[in-house]
Amino acid sequence: MDLFVTTVRRLSQLCGIVAALTLAAAVLVVCQMVVLRYFLNESTVWQTEFTTYSIVGATLIGSPYVLLRRGHVNVDLLPIYLPHRARLILAFVASGLALAFCVALVYSGAELWLDAWQGGWTTDSIWRLPLWIAYAPIPIGIGLLCLQYVADILCLITGREMPFGLEQGDQP
Amino acid sequence: MSPLEIGGVIGVVTILVLATGVPIAFGLGIVSIGFLIIFDGWGSLGIVADTFFAGIGEFALVSIPMFVLMGAAVASSPAGKDLYEALERWLYKVPGGLIISNLGACSIFAALSGSSPATCAAIGKMGIPEMRQRGYPDGLATGAIAAGGTLGILIPPSVTMIVYGISTETSIGRLFIAGLLPGLMLTCLFMAWSLYAAWRGGYRFALTDVGYSLRQKLEVLPRVLPFLLIIAGVLYVLYGGIATPSEAAGVGALFCVLLVVVIYGLFLRSWSPLRIWDILGDSMRESVMILMIIGASALFSYTLSSLFVTQSIAEWIADLDVNRWVLMAMINVFLLVCGFFLPPVAVILMTAPILLPIVTLAGFDPYWFAVIFTINMEIGLITPPVGLNLYVINGIAPDVSLPTILKGALPFMLAMALGIVLLCVFPEIATWLPDAIMGPGI
Amino acid sequence: ANVTLKASHQWPGGKGDARDEMVQIIAKEIAAADVGLEVQVYPGASLFKPKEQWNAMVKGQLDISAFPLDYASGRHPQFSATLMPGLVKNHDHALRLNKSPFMADIKKIINDAGVIVLSDAWLAGGFASTKNCILGPDTMKGQVTRAAGPAFEQMLAGAGASIASMPSSEIYTAMQTGVLDAANTSSGSFVSYRIYEQVKCLTEPGDHALWFMYEPILMSKRSWDKLDDAQQKALMAAGKKAEEYMTEQAKGLDQKLVDVYKKNGVEVVKMSAEDAAAWREIAKMTSYKSFSENVPGGDKLIEEALAVE
Ligand code: NA
Ligand code: NA
Repeated sequence: MDLFVTTVRRLSQLCGIVAALTLAAAVLVVCQMVVLRYFLNESTVWQTEFTTYSIVGATLIGSPYVLLRRGHVNVDLLPIYLPHRARLILAFVASGLALAFCVALVYSGAELWLDAWQGGWTTDSIWRLPLWIAYAPIPIGIGLLCLQYVADILCLITGREMPFGLEQGDQP
Repeated sequence: MSPLEIGGVIGVVTILVLATGVPIAFGLGIVSIGFLIIFDGWGSLGIVADTFFAGIGEFALVSIPMFVLMGAAVASSPAGKDLYEALERWLYKVPGGLIISNLGACSIFAALSGSSPATCAAIGKMGIPEMRQRGYPDGLATGAIAAGGTLGILIPPSVTMIVYGISTETSIGRLFIAGLLPGLMLTCLFMAWSLYAAWRGGYRFALTDVGYSLRQKLEVLPRVLPFLLIIAGVLYVLYGGIATPSEAAGVGALFCVLLVVVIYGLFLRSWSPLRIWDILGDSMRESVMILMIIGASALFSYTLSSLFVTQSIAEWIADLDVNRWVLMAMINVFLLVCGFFLPPVAVILMTAPILLPIVTLAGFDPYWFAVIFTINMEIGLITPPVGLNLYVINGIAPDVSLPTILKGALPFMLAMALGIVLLCVFPEIATWLPDAIMGPGI
Repeated sequence: ANVTLKASHQWPGGKGDARDEMVQIIAKEIAAADVGLEVQVYPGASLFKPKEQWNAMVKGQLDISAFPLDYASGRHPQFSATLMPGLVKNHDHALRLNKSPFMADIKKIINDAGVIVLSDAWLAGGFASTKNCILGPDTMKGQVTRAAGPAFEQMLAGAGASIASMPSSEIYTAMQTGVLDAANTSSGSFVSYRIYEQVKCLTEPGDHALWFMYEPILMSKRSWDKLDDAQQKALMAAGKKAEEYMTEQAKGLDQKLVDVYKKNGVEVVKMSAEDAAAWREIAKMTSYKSFSENVPGGDKLIEEALAVE
């Protein structure tokens, strides 16, 4: 089980790296587009779609890393005021709800990806980017997000991590 | 059940779900999917991914991570410290000079960053410890930075104005200009309060006997200049007809990173270029958080619209037939309450498309309303339970308790409320500049 | 109990937009038919974003939509033929085209994808520029232009224009800030986005329009199959009513465009048969060529469309 948790964390960290690099790539492409369009007066074909889908990709792929770093903002009013045991139960409920959403999104996303793959869907610009590439970050990123949630829940069960990252004595 | 009743049920369930401490993005997501399955059947799962994807797959949204990156680059450098130091060398004789310098630095930094938490972090990291060390009370020091940081979404560029522009089909460039004067007005109100608080508290400051010579005042300026140039450059690119907001954001982000590398990395050697990695990582984290909420809000809005809740609420408000200022007061209270519990982008995505038609029908200007909306969201950023700026302050000064910060921030919240009143009395504060620069609106 | 059908489109509701009117007519007719059916209209993209509507209909999550067919050309590249420069000359030509093998082929693709057509509708459009009037291809050189869709982009680029892609809602600001010199879009958008405040010259559709777009009322096959005979008949009859309304209105829309622009002091011109022919020559070398080469059956579709007199 240690192996599972460690592997998932490594994967999430890898996701963070990929997402940050994708963001950097998007910035460079936007700048390249500005130079092409306004200084060299050339038409730009693929840059708009590339940056748009890069940012979407970075968001979806980056989400497991952000979960690992507790970066997805939440309402922690109730957890802070509850005693440890109730806090633990609440943490299970919260993780369960989040996991349910992520599983539904992965299911729906995988279906969308498959449709795009089988149907040979593309974007409707001249570039005609195959949509399965644009959609791939949904099953991949959110799939890993599910894994990260499973790992988090396992850590909660085994007491390796405190619910909501709050120590037992943490009370306002 | 009538759509309004369904809406009520959805509202209650959403509050219960979010109260469990589930991340807001996933909480909104599971509520949406739950109600879709109940009312539209399992088949509705077929469009969940499509709706979520389309919610974030918009070129104008690209500017969000870019404007966040601009801020993060500068925040990683000692530029924030330079900024308020430069201001302080000029303002040191004024009572509360340091706090005023910090507020000034917040508002200048806000012109570089689209995000309030980033603004808060950039100035607060250096400013809060310095102020506390010089004997300012904890509450005033943290409250001022928490509030000053909120200017990040009012003074252009602004992440929330971008989202408002997309969801209401208004011009992002025009929204940006509309926020400028109100942003300066709030800065002045904040400073006025600080001045009064410092004078009333009779704070003595360690540095009052250490005067600065004119030379010292001048030599600090060059370090601030490049950033002022970038601000001017981005404004020129945006309004001089060079590029769209997303493009200006991308160029601005690259310039900020390069500038930080050159000035602080190569020239001053006080900064390691390896920190580019931290900059990217930090901005990626904040953007992912915002964009995931945007995607989930798209799903939530779809659910409300599909169940005809949105339309029924709009009809219900329109049928109230109250005086337009009573209506505006009600909307303000409503936004304020939303802002307690939800981050600005979520509130905008869910309510702006409903509110804007009602507000314009009542004869209010859509760009003026965007400013009112934004100031309400600013207040929400420093109120619990969800206040993004409060998290940042907690990270910088973990030993200052939440009630202390809130007590310190309360006068600034009242200043924002006063700002809203002033904007209602003198709408020109928001509408004059866009009209002057871009001509009377569409 | 009544079955409720969801109808969605991207245009303003209740403000007289012809496409909104079409959907409203269907809703009214269905209510009057009293067949246990009700149509709930979601205007202004308040339910789905414009391009999401196609997939939602295929999945049976959206029942009815007023849908510019080209929006689904990423899924079915043949649909680009319904926003192809110079294939439709004027409104009467569009009516003849509806009965041709060209439209039969297009509708077969629509049906095979799980969508059916309730009403046909073609909308015209034109050009507007902040610089000089756009007539023949040589008038386009060097202008930074927003085109409606890739086929137009290819043709305009072939004439020496520099292309900037953006949604029609951005044209106004882009022209105001000088990012854009010229734009090509539908008559309706030219009016509703108040582009006349920015431009010097308008090229109205006239008898030799280059810009025509197929914007039918579509229905999900999944939803259709759930209905009984009487309900299906009522829907088809309502669709016919909406189509007749559009046939009557279409020319009026173009006239309104001309009136509004003239009233605002914009110069209004029309392309001659020679201008249009010169554009078609460029299209043959650019957009038609790429369509024929890249789209299965593209060759045949272009031929069939050009064969309609
Ligand atoms: Na800002
Ligand atoms: Na709040």
